[in-house]
Amino acid sequence: MTRKKVKLAYITNDSSRKATFKKRKKGLMKKVSELSTLCGIDACAIIYSPYDNSPEVWPNIMGAQHVLSEFKRMPEMEQSKKMVNQESFMKQRIAKASEQLKKQSKENREKEMTEVMYQALAGKGLQNLNLGDLNDLSWVIDQNMKGIYKRIEAIKKGASTSSSSAAAAPQVAAERKPAVTGLGLEGMQRTQAEWFNDWMNNNTSEQQLGFGHGNEMIITNFNNNHNANVWPNDFFP
Amino acid sequence: MARKTSKGRQKIQMTKMSKESNLLVTFSKRRSGLFKKASELCTLCGVEIVIIVFSPGHKVFSFGHPNVESIINRFLTRNPTSSSSTTCQLVEAHRNANVRELNTQLTGILNQLEFEKKREVEIEKIKKAKIGKNWWEGPVNELGLGELEQLKLGMEDLKKNVTKQMQKIIFEASNTPAFFLGGSSSNRGQVDAKNIKGLGLSMATNGPTSFP
Repeated sequence: MTRKKVKLAYITNDSSRKATFKKRKKGLMKKVSELSTLCGIDACAIIYSPYDNSPEVWPNIMGAQHVLSEFKRMPEMEQSKKMVNQESFMKQRIAKASEQLKKQSKENREKEMTEVMYQALAGKGLQNLNLGDLNDLSWVIDQNMKGIYKRIEAIKKGASTSSSSAAAAPQVAAERKPAVTGLGLEGMQRTQAEWFNDWMNNNTSEQQLGFGHGNEMIITNFNNNHNANVWPNDFFP
Repeated sequence: MARKTSKGRQKIQMTKMSKESNLLVTFSKRRSGLFKKASELCTLCGVEIVIIVFSPGHKVFSFGHPNVESIINRFLTRNPTSSSSTTCQLVEAHRNANVRELNTQLTGILNQLEFEKKREVEIEKIKKAKIGKNWWEGPVNELGLGELEQLKLGMEDLKKNVTKQMQKIIFEASNTPAFFLGGSSSNRGQVDAKNIKGLGLSMATNGPTSFP
C-alpha cells in the first residue's frame, strides 16, 4: 500500500481519478459499515459518480430508504443542526486546525523564550533580540515571577505558622550550598557575585554575546509575523 | 509538556462495543473521520455524495455534497441526472471555486501545524542536549528561600533591562525619518529598508505599528 501524500485537489488525470475513486469509495463504504457495527447505529451512504448511472448505496437501497425516512421524520431543526456540506465542513476543520496551530505556536514560543530567559540570567546580552522577541520575553519573565512570588509567600507563610518548618528552610539551602549560613542570602551573594555583576552591567557593547554559541539557539526570523505579538501589551495591543 | 503516547493502532473486533464510554468516543472520532474521507473523495474525484449517521444519543449527523437535501431528493425521486441548466452550472462552478479556496487555506494551516510540531521536537532535543542546567532552571518548588529571593531580584532586574532595550529600539526607530512613510518603495529605500528589517517589525506585511 503506497503512502504518498496526495494533494487535496481535483485529479485531472482521468484514469488516475477513476482508480482513486474506486479505491476510496470502497474504503468509505467499509468505514460506514464499521461505524454502524461498532456503535450500533443506523447510517446510510449514497454516492453518485460519472462512472455509473445508478448510485452506489450502503447498506442497500432498502436500508438507505429506511434511514432516509427516519431522517425525514425528525424535526427540521434536528435535521439541520448537524448538517454540513463541503464548505461548512471545511470551515469547521479550518477553525479547529487554526486553534491547534495557535496553541502549538504559543507553546513553542513560550519554551523558546524561557530558554532565552535562562541564558539572559546567565549573563547573555539582549542585543540580538528584536522588539517582538523582547516583548514575548517580558511576558515569560512575568509569568515566572508570579510563580516565584507565590512560592516565596508560601514558604514564608509556612515558616511563620510553625517553627519547625522555619528550621527546614535554611536546612534545604544549607544542603545545596555548604558555605551558607542562616537563610543563606549573604553566602550565596558571595559565591555568585560574578553572576550578579554580569547582568547588572549587561548593556555594554563589549558584551556582544550573541545567542547560539554552538548550541543552535532557535531565534530564527522565519515567519516573524505570527511569532511576534503572541502576547498583547502596551506596545502591541 | 510531555505527550503521553497511547497504545497505538490496535486491531478491534467488528462487533458492537461493550463499554459505553468507549463507544461514544469511537463514534465521535470515526464519524469525524468518515466525513473527512467523504469530503476528500468529493474534492479528489468530483462526485456527489450524502452520508447520514445517527448517533448513539439519537441525534443525526449528515454530510452532503453539493448539499444533503438535493442528493436525498435525487435519490428518492429516482432522478437519473442532476439538472444542468446554465444557472446551476454557474452556481456549481462558484461553489467549486469556494471549496478549492478553502482547501488551499486548510492545507496551508495543516502544513504550518506540522511545522510547529516538528519545531517542538527540535526544541525538546536542544533542551535535552544542554550540558548542565543552571540552578535557577529547576522547578521553583525545589529551590530554597535564599535562592528564590536571589532569583527574584535577578528576574526583576532582567525585566528592567528588557524594557530598557525595547524603549531603546523604539527610540532609535522613531528617529529614522523613513519609518513613518509606511512603505519601502522610495529611492532611499536601501538604507531605510535595512533599518526597518533590523527592527524585526515586518512593516511590509503588518503595516506600521503605532506607538504611544
